[in-house]
Amino acid sequence: MVRFLARRLVWFAITLLGVSLITFVLMHAVPGGPWDADRPLPPAIIEALNQRYGLDLPGWQQYLKFVVGAAQGDLGVSFVLRQGQPVTEVIGQGLPATLLLAVGAALLATVVGLALGVGAALARGSALDTLTTVVVMLGASVPNFVLGVVLVLVLAVNLKLAPTFGWGQPQQVVLPLLTLAALPTAYVARIARAAALDALTEDYVRTARGKGLSERAVTLRHVLRNVLIPVVTVMGPITAYLATGSFVVESLYAIPGSGRLFIQAVLARDYGLIMGASLLFAAIVATANLVVDLLYAAIDPRLRTPG
Amino acid sequence: MVLRLLRVLAVLAGGLAVATGCAANTTPAETSGGVFRVNMQFEPDTIDPGRSNNNLSWGVASQVFEGLFRYDKDLKLAPAVASEVPTRENGGVSEDGRTYTIRLRESHWSDGRPVRAQDFVYAIKRSLDPAFAAPYAQALYDIEGAEAYNTAPGAKTKPSQAGSPQIAALRAAVAVYAADDATLTLRLNAPRSTFVHLLAQPVAWPLREDVLTTFGDKWTAPPNYLGNGPFVLTVWEHGSRIVFEPNPYYAEGKPKLQQLVFVQIGDANQAFLAYRNGELDAVGVPDAAVKQVEADPGLKAEALRVKELFILGLQVNVTQPPLQDVRVRQAFATAIDRQALVAGVAQGVGTPAYSPVPPGMPGHEAAVGQEFTFDAAKARRLLADAGFPDPARFPKVSLTFTETSPNRLRAEFFQAQLRQNLGVQMDLEALDAKAYQQRYATGQFNLALSGWGADYPDPDNFVPELFTTGSGNNRTGYSNPAVDALARDCRSLADEKARMAACAKAQALVVADQPWIFTNYRERFWLVKPYVRGLQPTAKDAVVGSRFYRQLSIAR
Repeated sequence: MVRFLARRLVWFAITLLGVSLITFVLMHAVPGGPWDADRPLPPAIIEALNQRYGLDLPGWQQYLKFVVGAAQGDLGVSFVLRQGQPVTEVIGQGLPATLLLAVGAALLATVVGLALGVGAALARGSALDTLTTVVVMLGASVPNFVLGVVLVLVLAVNLKLAPTFGWGQPQQVVLPLLTLAALPTAYVARIARAAALDALTEDYVRTARGKGLSERAVTLRHVLRNVLIPVVTVMGPITAYLATGSFVVESLYAIPGSGRLFIQAVLARDYGLIMGASLLFAAIVATANLVVDLLYAAIDPRLRTPG
Repeated sequence: MVLRLLRVLAVLAGGLAVATGCAANTTPAETSGGVFRVNMQFEPDTIDPGRSNNNLSWGVASQVFEGLFRYDKDLKLAPAVASEVPTRENGGVSEDGRTYTIRLRESHWSDGRPVRAQDFVYAIKRSLDPAFAAPYAQALYDIEGAEAYNTAPGAKTKPSQAGSPQIAALRAAVAVYAADDATLTLRLNAPRSTFVHLLAQPVAWPLREDVLTTFGDKWTAPPNYLGNGPFVLTVWEHGSRIVFEPNPYYAEGKPKLQQLVFVQIGDANQAFLAYRNGELDAVGVPDAAVKQVEADPGLKAEALRVKELFILGLQVNVTQPPLQDVRVRQAFATAIDRQALVAGVAQGVGTPAYSPVPPGMPGHEAAVGQEFTFDAAKARRLLADAGFPDPARFPKVSLTFTETSPNRLRAEFFQAQLRQNLGVQMDLEALDAKAYQQRYATGQFNLALSGWGADYPDPDNFVPELFTTGSGNNRTGYSNPAVDALARDCRSLADEKARMAACAKAQALVVADQPWIFTNYRERFWLVKPYVRGLQPTAKDAVVGSRFYRQLSIAR
C-alpha cells in the first residue's frame, strides 16, 4: 500500500510539472498579453508593469521562478484580474462556493444517477426505463446555459420556488445545483443502467436467485457492487468537470466561486493567475483520480494490492 | 426494490420543495424600503481610483470617492470637494493660465477625519509614480514635472531603485502643492482650459496616505477601503456582488438609501429575468429583448433610453493601399446605410453618426459629414474615380474585430452592405479580445470595429486624442499637419469661442478625410422599477444613474 501511494505521488509530481510546462509554453505562444487593452498603454507604463511582475526576465527564468515558488506553496500573484493579490488567496476566496456546488452536484448525480440507472435496468422495457432514457438524453445534450435559463424561467419566475440568482442562503443553491448536476446525472444513469443490465445476466445473479435471496438482497449485494466500479470510474473526470467547469453556472447565477477564474484568466492573459490556477486544478484532477483508484480497491476485492 | 429507491427520491424531492417553499417569497428582508439593486454584469479588475481604467472600476470607485470636481445632470463641470471651479475671473487660474489655486470646502472621510489638500497631493503624485504604473497617468501630464517623473528613464519597480535620489528629486519637482490644509496649487507646462476636466478624473481623486501605507495592496478590501464619497463599501463577494452603505460623514448629508447593491450576473438575459422576477430594481435591456419590451405596455412604462457620449465606427489603416486613397474610404462611408444599421442591428437603439463628437455635449455638429449619407450610386462613382471602375477587381480587405455577439452582428452587417451596395468583398476576422487589442495597438489591420467613449464632455477629448499625429490613441496612421495645428488650438486657446471654433474646424477636416468611418452613436436602454425615486441618468454613467445614487430612495 505504501509503495503504491509512493509511486502514485511521484507520478502526481511529474504530472503537475508537465501541466505547468505545457501551460507556460502555450500561454506565451498565444497572441495578446496581459497589458493589451482597449486603449493601448504607453510603452513606459508597459515596461514598468513588466518589471513589477517579472515579465522582463527571460522565459526559462520566469518558469523556474514559478516552479521553485510552487514547490514552497507560493503560486504567484494575479497580474490582471485581481492585480497583485496572491493566487492562493484569489482562488481560496471562491473555493468554498465552488466546492459546495461541486460536491453537492457529485452526490446528487451519484444518488439520482444510480437510482435511475439501476431502476431502469431492473424494470427493463417499462415506463421507468423509457423515462430514464429520455432524462439521460436531455441531460447529456442540453447545454448547461440553456438549461440554466429554462430552470430559472420555470422554477424561479413562474413557480417562485427559488431565487433567480445570488448566494448565501440555502434556497439559492437549488437552481445552480440542478443546472450543474444535469450532465453528470445523465452520464451516471447511463453507465449504471448498462452495468446493471450486464450484471443481471451474470451467472452469480442467477445463482443468488436460485439460492432463494430476495430481489432486494440480489440487487444490493451483487448487482450494485458491480455497477459501482464503472460509476466510480466516471466520477473521477466528472469531479474534475464540476470543479473546473462551473464557469457557466457561476456566471449565470452570480455565484462567488473560483470556477470562473481560470477561463477569465485565460481570456485576460493573466499569466500569474493562469499558471497558479492551472496547477491547482491539475492537482485537484490528479487527486480525484487517485481517490478513484483507492476506491476501486475498497469496492472490488480482486483489485486489492497484496500486503 | 425500484419502488423503494423511488420512494427515497420522492422524500428527498419533497424535502427540497418544503425547504424552498419556505422561501417562496424569494427576496430577503433587506429589500424592504431603501435597497437599490442593479446589475453590473462583471467583476471590476480593480477599484483603486489611481488604476481605474474602465467603467466597472470607475462605477464602484465613484460611489466611495469624490474628487475636486464632478458633473451635474447635464454634464457641466461643478465643484465637489473644491469650493468652486477655478477660472481667471475668480482668481482660481492665473493670468497666464498656468497656475491653479483651488480652495477646498470643508468635507470629511468616512472615518470622520477632514479631507485636506495634502490628500490630493499624495494621490496625484502616486498616480504619477513610475513604480505604480497607472494606466491613465497621462491625464496629468499637463502638470509641470509630471511627465518627467512618470517616464523616468530606467525607473525600476524594485524597492532598491524606487527610493533612489534621482526618482525622489523628480517626485519633489512635480508642481502640485498644498499651500495649506484647504488650498491646493498646481502649475502647468502650458495653459489648457480643459485641465479642470482632467482634475475631475479618478487619477486625481484624494487618497489617505496613512491608510495606503498601513494596508498596502490590501487597502481596496473592505473595511480598509476608505473614501470621502456618498457611500462606504461594506461587502465584496468576488464574482457575486458588491454592497455599499451610506457614508454618515458625507459632505452633502447622509444619502437616503439604506443599501446599494451591484450584482454580477454575467448573462444579460438572465439579469432581465431577475428584474422581471422582482430581484433587481434596474437592468439593461438585452438586444434580444428590445422588441419584447416595446410591445409590453407594462415594461414599456418602465423603460428609459439614455444617450451615451460614445461614437462607434470602423477605424481605417490609412497607410496601405487601397484604403490609403481617401476616395476609397469615402466610397465605403457612402455605401453604408446607417439608418438600417440602427433600426435593424441595434434594434432602434442609438442614432446614425457622421462625425465623432456625439450629441449631448459641446462640439457636436449635426451638419458635418452629411455628404456621406447613404447613396449606393454615389459610392460606386467614388470608387470608380479612385481607379476601381469594376468593383470585382477591388483588392480584398478585412475587418478585424473582437468576437462578441453584438460585434459579430455589426461586422456581418457592414460586410453585407459593402457587398450589395458597392460590390466589394470585405472579409471578416474575428479575434478574442486580447488578440484583437494587440493587433489594433500594432496597426495590423485594414479596418477595425471600434468605438470611443468620452472621458469628459469636451471636444478636446476627441479630435486631439484620436486624430493627431503620433497620439497614443491614433492607430490609423492618419497624419494631417493642418489638423494637428487646429487640435493644439482646440486644447489650449484661452478664448472659449475661438477654442471651440478651432475644434469644429479640426472635426470638419477629419470627417472629410475619413480616417474612421463613423457609423452610429450609442444609446443604452434600461428598465427601472417605478418605486425607484430620484434616479438621474446622464450621458456618461457606469450603470444607469450611477453619478447620482446619493439622491436615490426607494418608495415602498
